[in-house]
Amino acid sequence: MPEIGGSDLFVLEFGDILHYYTPYTTTLFVLALIFTALAILSRPEGQVDIAFGGDAYYAKETAVSEMRFRRFMTIACGLATMGAMGSGDIFNFTLFASLVGITNVGIVAAVKSRHVLDAAYEYGIVAMVATLPLFGGAALILATTGTLSIPALAAGASAVPLIGKALLALGVIGEGMAPFYAAKAEMFRAPGAPYVIMCSLSSLLIFLRVVEIAITI
Amino acid sequence: MIPDYSIGLLVAFAAAGTAFFALMRETDGLHRLLLTDLVEVVTLAFIALVGTDLAEALILPGLVVGVSELIALSEIYRVKEGYVRPPAAGLQIEVMESAPGILAAILVVYGIILSGFSGGAVAGLGVIFYFLSRSHNERFELIETASGYSWVLWIVAFFVFMLLPQHWFFAVMLAGAAILVKVMAKMSLIGTMRGGPNA
Repeated sequence: MPEIGGSDLFVLEFGDILHYYTPYTTTLFVLALIFTALAILSRPEGQVDIAFGGDAYYAKETAVSEMRFRRFMTIACGLATMGAMGSGDIFNFTLFASLVGITNVGIVAAVKSRHVLDAAYEYGIVAMVATLPLFGGAALILATTGTLSIPALAAGASAVPLIGKALLALGVIGEGMAPFYAAKAEMFRAPGAPYVIMCSLSSLLIFLRVVEIAITI
Repeated sequence: MIPDYSIGLLVAFAAAGTAFFALMRETDGLHRLLLTDLVEVVTLAFIALVGTDLAEALILPGLVVGVSELIALSEIYRVKEGYVRPPAAGLQIEVMESAPGILAAILVVYGIILSGFSGGAVAGLGVIFYFLSRSHNERFELIETASGYSWVLWIVAFFVFMLLPQHWFFAVMLAGAAILVKVMAKMSLIGTMRGGPNA
């Protein structure tokens, strides 16, 4: 069993469901924690569009109610990402991954721009369809091995089918995780820097984590 | 002899293929949103096929994630298409004037006898029908508060299971009653979803 994450630093047990932190996942967890704190503290950017060929410019104001909602969604996204980093249960991981998908839509949903909403809607449909391979992969792993615990699967009691791993990875890719941004690239046009960047960061972290899971189990 | 699980898996994959094909062909935004439901149901079928207690417990979070995605996307669709006009007056059907009281009472009483998840669903159905048929100028904060507190009681029951297992019967009763109120309260809100001041 390849141990790419290193040995466990901390294990939090809830019965047979546990959260574990290796040096690898701890790094990702701390990154998500720091960025969530930054998003709580910082104010949103004031985006400025310059009219081509002239001196005119448009400053886009962010209303307080919109900012509050987006900050809430950003914090939720940060919490879901942190949960996914430490989770030692494949189904919990898939739930956290789809929660990150929902909050990513939420972060840009408050922006009253038709273009951004269109992009968010299209991404949301892809993310919703991606729950099929995501949960399907977890269910296949449960059906063939009888457990969802990552440490138990890593111990190698029974082999995890390749199709299960492939479906899991496909599901995460479908949720729009880095580097497969195709579905949600347009969403990043939404103004409000610290919040939109959370979409990027959470996707990147989730992808790094699923790579670790797929190699470990 | 092919095992049942493989046959089920085959059917689920076929259904998923059909759903993906339909999504590929459909271009209208709202219809595509409705078609994603087809995919969601197959997702739940994948989990249900495992057929163990654990799989049964996993269906609920899977369903909740699916429903919350559906609600979020519906809201985005409503905003982006600019549908802000409140819906017109309710249905004008005679049976909806006379029947709600007795039907709702029967369903609620039967639901309380059943208790638990299924009881909550049955009683909730009665309350949905009542709110759907009658006007609903009620204090919905009360329903939501009751729902919130009963959820807390449900969690308390789980802690009793884990920390004081000798009091399991008390915890079972607490969880059964709390989830009844919780499911019923949440479901009853569906009956009021037709615009208006309190909805």
